[in-house]
Amino acid sequence: MRLDALAIAIRSKNAGPCLLTLDIVFPDDAAFALAASRIDRLLEHVAGQYRKPPSRIRSFVHPPSRAIKITIPRDRLSGSVGDTDVYGAQQHAPLLGFEL
Amino acid sequence: MSDAFRRGERRPIRILGASGQLGYGIPTPALEAGLRRQPDFIGCDMGSTDIGPYYLGSGNMAVSREGAKRDLAKVLKAARAIDAPLIIGSAGSAGAAPHLAQTADIVREIAAEAGLHFKLATIAADVDRARIIAALRAGQVRAMDGMSELTQEAVAGSSHLVAQMGLEMIQGALLAEADVVIAGRACDTGIFAALPILLGFPQGLSIHLAKIVECASLCCVPGGRDSILATLHDDHFELESMNPARAATPASVAAHSLYEQADPFSIHEPCGRVDLSDVVYSAVDGRRTRVSGARFEPAAAQAIKLEGARLAGERAILLCANADPRFIERREAIFDSLETLVAELACEDCPKDYRLFVHAYGTNAVMPANPPMALPGEIGIVIECVAPTTDRALDVLRTAKQYLLHYGYEGRLSTAGNLAFPFTPPEIGVGPAYEFSVYHLMEVDAQSDIFAISIEDV
Repeated sequence: MRLDALAIAIRSKNAGPCLLTLDIVFPDDAAFALAASRIDRLLEHVAGQYRKPPSRIRSFVHPPSRAIKITIPRDRLSGSVGDTDVYGAQQHAPLLGFEL
Repeated sequence: MSDAFRRGERRPIRILGASGQLGYGIPTPALEAGLRRQPDFIGCDMGSTDIGPYYLGSGNMAVSREGAKRDLAKVLKAARAIDAPLIIGSAGSAGAAPHLAQTADIVREIAAEAGLHFKLATIAADVDRARIIAALRAGQVRAMDGMSELTQEAVAGSSHLVAQMGLEMIQGALLAEADVVIAGRACDTGIFAALPILLGFPQGLSIHLAKIVECASLCCVPGGRDSILATLHDDHFELESMNPARAATPASVAAHSLYEQADPFSIHEPCGRVDLSDVVYSAVDGRRTRVSGARFEPAAAQAIKLEGARLAGERAILLCANADPRFIERREAIFDSLETLVAELACEDCPKDYRLFVHAYGTNAVMPANPPMALPGEIGIVIECVAPTTDRALDVLRTAKQYLLHYGYEGRLSTAGNLAFPFTPPEIGVGPAYEFSVYHLMEVDAQSDIFAISIEDV
């Protein structure tokens, strides 16, 4: 099953000017538990898609919101010359088709 | 209120988060509903680094003066009508001296027009450069989130350099009996946690509450900009949107700790860290949520976050499009040769003094993709140039424009021109470009050594 068929939110945003944070929020405990059990593969997918070494990727499983959060460094500081997404709000698409 | 608390007459307090982005509009019905609940104080956040370095660098507000005045008038009149303190943080979008001055000026103007009188505190967030350099030499500055180490050049070259003040400074203004506090760059939690902690409420709980209500009703479903009311008890707080169409549910409130945060289990303040690992969110009813369990861990040494931005140059952009599949298929080779040729022509007699970027929308311009996306029938092209002057940036772009327009790429059939311009001139100067130059932590003994409170009677 694709991640976008299961999650109720898949989003990206700056967390300060140096970091990008990806949130995946699930509708119920079963969906959250399924995704959390696949987190190793999800992190591999993120490392490949966003071209980041695993050592620079932080991840959190957050039960109160039934969410997985993944925080990675930005390619450029927010708003620096040549940046393509100052708020970092459109960097989530590679997560949509992840096969659980 | 503080006198009563000192006498031991404790009670829950009501906190109104009026706006998370002052200047973009405050819905009146929810604000008025909040006022009817007799809040003990009103807070508003006005700034952030998430909008990029331009506003900090330039000293301009992200909102119009009219928008800021409209919203400031609403909250100022509201606070004076119920005689409750009004606390505004990160004045004027980035909280440096020009932002603080503009915000305070608007507040004085509203007061004069409405015949309001009160004690106003303004708290400057600009940090003395010599102090930063001394701290740098003493090894008391460290890089945040993968920034390179701070240099004296970065400190000297920043057009504005501020630090996020903690709740202690806002407490200082409240202890000086200010009715209205306008803080320069401030931790958004400081706005809402300062008074509760002064009254003896637990630090962890107060800071957690502050982190949520600083975004108004964003923590609700559906999220929105309406005012939110928090009721703080000694061992928990409750949240309720002042718009009946928005519900603060346990999941929606918990999800707010994800928003624009690298780590959903921690809130970092100059004075310490709040651990959210054991927080419990429970429904009071369909629209209200009760929150408890945040734990405060004091820091061994206080550290404040420095933020600086520097001028990168003057920016100009070229707007155009292409609707030829043959061009689109070969675009990468075309853009590569564009950069080489423009450099040869524009820098014949001088070193390269500009930066050029091609944003080819429709072909992974926003982010790379693996595998690349399917090619569209047409693409939008923004070519961005940052150079020492606007004229120079425009000149480089005109060279780029003519080259792209007539470039005879292999397989070309459209020999009259490669670009569609929506209007002419298609190259436009868009003003100075700024970049973040400082994003570092600096250890301090006392925040009052760094930030200055001014009190005046308005």
